[in-house]
Amino acid sequence: MTQTKRILIALVVVVVLIGAVLGVEAIRRSQSEPTLAPGSIPIYVDGKLVGGFTPDDLGELEQVSFVDAEEGKTQEGWLLRDVLQANVQKSKLQPDTHIVVSSSSRGKSAELTWSEVDDPANWVMFDLSARGTLKLVSVLERLDVRDEWVQDVDRIEVTRP
Amino acid sequence: MKERYFSTFQLILLALFAALIVVAKIALRLPLQLPGHSGIFWMALVIVAAGIVNKVGAASLVGLTSGIIAAFLGLGDFGALNTFLSYTMVGVGTDLALLLLGRNPESLVIAMIAASFGHFCKFLVKWGLGVLTGAPVGFVALGLLRSIVGYLVFGALGGLLGALTLRALRRAGFFAYLAEKR
Repeated sequence: MTQTKRILIALVVVVVLIGAVLGVEAIRRSQSEPTLAPGSIPIYVDGKLVGGFTPDDLGELEQVSFVDAEEGKTQEGWLLRDVLQANVQKSKLQPDTHIVVSSSSRGKSAELTWSEVDDPANWVMFDLSARGTLKLVSVLERLDVRDEWVQDVDRIEVTRP
Repeated sequence: MKERYFSTFQLILLALFAALIVVAKIALRLPLQLPGHSGIFWMALVIVAAGIVNKVGAASLVGLTSGIIAAFLGLGDFGALNTFLSYTMVGVGTDLALLLLGRNPESLVIAMIAASFGHFCKFLVKWGLGVLTGAPVGFVALGLLRSIVGYLVFGALGGLLGALTLRALRRAGFFAYLAEKR
């Protein structure tokens, strides 16, 4: 075997090993769940934790507001659409993707589709309460009065059809 | 009487190189903050050892011995097993590469590739043990590809330094002196 061939074999072995390391690491990363800061609201996609956020993190998103029909108060906060787009891959958000925003302390939840959330006219958004927790509000018929809002949101689940 | 593979003189030389590696690891500090930068002197010593005792297994023996010394001295951040295996694999990897490339560590190209591969084996051990045990490994946080490149480049630089040292030793007549001694 010529020296050039030996050197090439050695280089190929190194490249293959590097590829194996990077491949295994990519698989590990895709399987591992992110570590959330205390107080974060977790976001699950098809039952797997993909990310989360604290109310403080929302400061980076654009703030929006609308006046609710029931009390005439201004609801000010951040669109659920922007929150999800910041944490979930775009390809996983299809028009019929099912989104559940829930509060374990209140025992309440709201079921939405991505098409509803993605429509800015629906104002599906989080308002920051005086206690520093988030409440889900909207002008959607099933989510437009206080009793229907989801206060103290602590979990978001995205389920693809 | 069957002749031993390594003479006592060669074993003493290899043990000295193993001790030198550990001393270099403790005493020599480069303020580079780059993963694998210690390979520049580490691999130079391994290549010099493999050149002076030019037999299959010489680098492995240096790695094994330095691994035992380093593990007993408590070097490394991830425990004795990690330290022992990573030091040992540096030698084994260099030996395997030299075996494939034809044992001529005085050749700059061969020395650089062999040292690069040997040093990369150290990375593989650290990364592999991190994967198996789930322990946080510093270089993963710094960026895996950056670490791999760091280990390869500094290993190659160490190999270059080692090959140049071997050439200088030959010019100075060190190998002729050794031939008389053994």
